Amino acid sequence: MKFSLPPIRHDYSSFEALAYLYTQTEGYVLDAVEIDMNKTDWFDADMCAAFGAILYSLGKRLNEVSLIDIPQRVERILSKNSFLSHYGRARIPDRWGTTITYKRFDVEDDHYFANYIEGELIHRSEIPEMSIGLLKRFRESIFEIFSNAILHSGTELGIFSCGQFFPNRNRLDFTVADLGIGIHQNVKDYTGFNISPEEAIGWATEEFNTTKSGNLPGVPGGLGLKLLCEFIDLNRGCIQIVSDAGYWQRKNRKTLTKSLPYPFPGTVVSVEINTADTRVYRLVPEELSPEDIF
Amino acid sequence: MSGEIKISIFEVVGSRLCVASDDGQKVYDRLDVALKANRIVTLSFHNVTALTSAFLNAAIGQLYGTFSEEQIRAQLKVKDMEQDDLALLKRVVDNAKLYFKDPERYEQAVEEAEENEDDETQSNTSEPTQLRFHG
Repeated sequence: MKFSLPPIRHDYSSFEALAYLYTQTEGYVLDAVEIDMNKTDWFDADMCAAFGAILYSLGKRLNEVSLIDIPQRVERILSKNSFLSHYGRARIPDRWGTTITYKRFDVEDDHYFANYIEGELIHRSEIPEMSIGLLKRFRESIFEIFSNAILHSGTELGIFSCGQFFPNRNRLDFTVADLGIGIHQNVKDYTGFNISPEEAIGWATEEFNTTKSGNLPGVPGGLGLKLLCEFIDLNRGCIQIVSDAGYWQRKNRKTLTKSLPYPFPGTVVSVEINTADTRVYRLVPEELSPEDIF
Repeated sequence: MSGEIKISIFEVVGSRLCVASDDGQKVYDRLDVALKANRIVTLSFHNVTALTSAFLNAAIGQLYGTFSEEQIRAQLKVKDMEQDDLALLKRVVDNAKLYFKDPERYEQAVEEAEENEDDETQSNTSEPTQLRFHG
């Protein structure tokens, strides 16, 4: 069976297209699935995380997945970041070093993920120079996203990540996707609220709101996404969260929510960072002493 | 033996990157034993270069579910932390105090969120209340 994929950008319509692809293919088992990318003349590389998650779920059901008619420039970027290595192509060298490798992790791979981020973001000379404060907050924000996926998704199929630098635009995009239970179901199970998927995402980004009760039931939560959103606000970046049929975006301190016509089978958190930001980030304005903490 | 106990986070986790809840749990397990034995503990963050709320919630936040604020204040000290890490820890501790001490506050937050969602339009603007920047 053949399915066509449109251009994939870092936006609502591309999440809609990927969710549609999932909906069209979710019933396939032990089949041959061709993704025709003839019309995919653009692919924001970090979106490989969400695309890869969908293809992985197809493979999990023992479908044979092939990507065909990929435009040359898209094939080049998806070969550089190692995405196409999962689908029979060779990886090609990333001469300008602007890609952040596509990878899949299991939930117990947190140390491996941490080292991947260090290797991709810290120990590379090609990475545009960011202020120490920005780099630290960005790196910790990525770890918060991954920790959230581990704590809340309950995924058995893994966590997918990918990124891309745009040196001329001073921008870094990074996306983490999981194939877990999704924020909507988590919030419904925990609170009993009868709210929409996009409302559930908004609820999860508020301080004090947490659904955590799984592997560490006595541990408080409810800070990770809030901290991430605060960072994005100050950085003047953008965060998009897709979970189930909900789409939630925060940009320029404004929140936009929409529903998707088709559900995504898990959660995607996608951030755009302004790498030229030179501010020093502090969580509180005043100096703190270790004696003030408890 | 009743001396002060020093715990190195770096030694417990085995990495400069203290980001995972499971690693935080390893720290918590040690703190739990020490505080129950009424020992004073100094927790060193020397060599730690990345922290998350998930790690700190597990390592320190959950102490407030077992021990009183007074006991934690009297027995637990931290050192070798940079200002932004101290600020994150402070946020985690304040959050944990609310989480364990004031379940009504949590219920209220849940209810407020539900009401806000009822009122919410397609687009809204809100200022972050805690995070500030300098420079």
